[in-house]
Amino acid sequence: MTSGIIDIGPWQLGFGLLFILIAGAASLYHSLHLEKDLLIGTVRTFAQLFLLGYVLKLLFDVDDYRIVLSVFLFMILFAAWTVYGRIREKQITFLMPVCLSMVVSFFLITFMVTAVVIDVKPWWTPQYFIPIGGMVIGNSMNAIAIALERLLNEMRSKRREIEMKLCLGADYKEASVDIVRDAMKAGMIPSINSMMTVGIVFIPGMMTGQILAGADPMTAIEYQIMVMIMIVGATALGTLLVVLVTRKRCFSPGHQLLLKPGS
Amino acid sequence: MKKNMIIRLSNLSFSYPNGKRLFDGISFDFYPGEFYLIQGASGAGKSTLLRLINRLEEATDGFITYHGKPLTDYHAPLLRKKISYIQQTPAVIRGTIRENLLLPFTFHSNRDQHKPDDETLSRQLQSFHLHGIDLNQPVENLSVGQLQRICLIRGLLLSPEVLLLDEPTSALDDGSARVVESKAESFCQTHQATVLMVSHRPFTPTMMKPRKIKMEEGKIREIT
Repeated sequence: MTSGIIDIGPWQLGFGLLFILIAGAASLYHSLHLEKDLLIGTVRTFAQLFLLGYVLKLLFDVDDYRIVLSVFLFMILFAAWTVYGRIREKQITFLMPVCLSMVVSFFLITFMVTAVVIDVKPWWTPQYFIPIGGMVIGNSMNAIAIALERLLNEMRSKRREIEMKLCLGADYKEASVDIVRDAMKAGMIPSINSMMTVGIVFIPGMMTGQILAGADPMTAIEYQIMVMIMIVGATALGTLLVVLVTRKRCFSPGHQLLLKPGS
Repeated sequence: MKKNMIIRLSNLSFSYPNGKRLFDGISFDFYPGEFYLIQGASGAGKSTLLRLINRLEEATDGFITYHGKPLTDYHAPLLRKKISYIQQTPAVIRGTIRENLLLPFTFHSNRDQHKPDDETLSRQLQSFHLHGIDLNQPVENLSVGQLQRICLIRGLLLSPEVLLLDEPTSALDDGSARVVESKAESFCQTHQATVLMVSHRPFTPTMMKPRKIKMEEGKIREIT
């Protein structure tokens, strides 16, 4: 039995493409028309991850917190832009408040993990701060997108109920409290579900990666537990802030619902 | 002695976001204790006018005053408890009839209002011809006509100064429609409230002479 890390060479990686060919053949056989997407997806996976590898190599040698935080900020801005693009909302704008909420919540959680939980010195050490920040951002981004989509859809579909409450003297918070609750739940349930099933239904990718890279399974598990808890915390905080600021954007200062149906 | 107007429309204009103009520079005064019947073809802007007075919409130009002050000077939730707007399609929350009738009293702006007891609520149901209906009954089992009356009772429980009714009888049979109309009339008379009612139904008042308003081609005028 060998211990330690086994390097994957270019030929082995190339051999892995066989799986893509199988998927492509299945797509052709069943006329799924996914061949082009498969090809683009494969090229992008190779290009983006190799690029990330080089960036991380450079970044890990950096000894300046300003550069590390700038990269972190760029990652959040990109995530916020992705969420904004996915929602396709035309009647209200919420990119700036969403960005700010994401910066506040993601920085707070990543800082807590590196400075308090792992106790890295300095707290912004790029080997820790960037990958952990990346996991926080990546996982919470999906939760935020789900919660925002639910929020805006329900604001439209329950317009009559919201206006009824406004007409009876409710302020905008009272008129939309149920919708905020539903949106929060929708965003948080996937990360809570994965806490329920982790280790039984699936083995998390990060833990697998650490074990394959030669880490002790118990150390990998400790990190994984920390990551799962961190993701739930970041999802809850990020979703709450983003949903609350976006909800405010849905109403005018005169407590009028600005979202009109059918857009 | 001439009463002071309660609501004034001053050069009010409203356009949709796509630029289509609904009405243009309309002016009108509404007085306390008067019953106004608003008529006009579909799309003439009757519902929009009620929504503007309730401040669910904002005018494109001009302004509305309530007791001499622009609507924008009031905190909207406090304004809306004084100017109650009952929507054309009844809107309710999931729950019992009691929960729906008492919904306004859960809102901060209505905390100073006396919360009616079960006896008062049951009496209201009876007076609106909602016989054999229990307060514990879920609203999901009610017909549209019954829901419309529940919504009207809920609005009246707040004792507003101005009552805006958007087609309150559209889903009712003649008998029930007459009950709703006479309730609106008696509310207007006993509370010296201002009632603005949009209705397509021919309305024969028994207690007071309504003032008829016609909206057409972007203008508003009183007809005799």
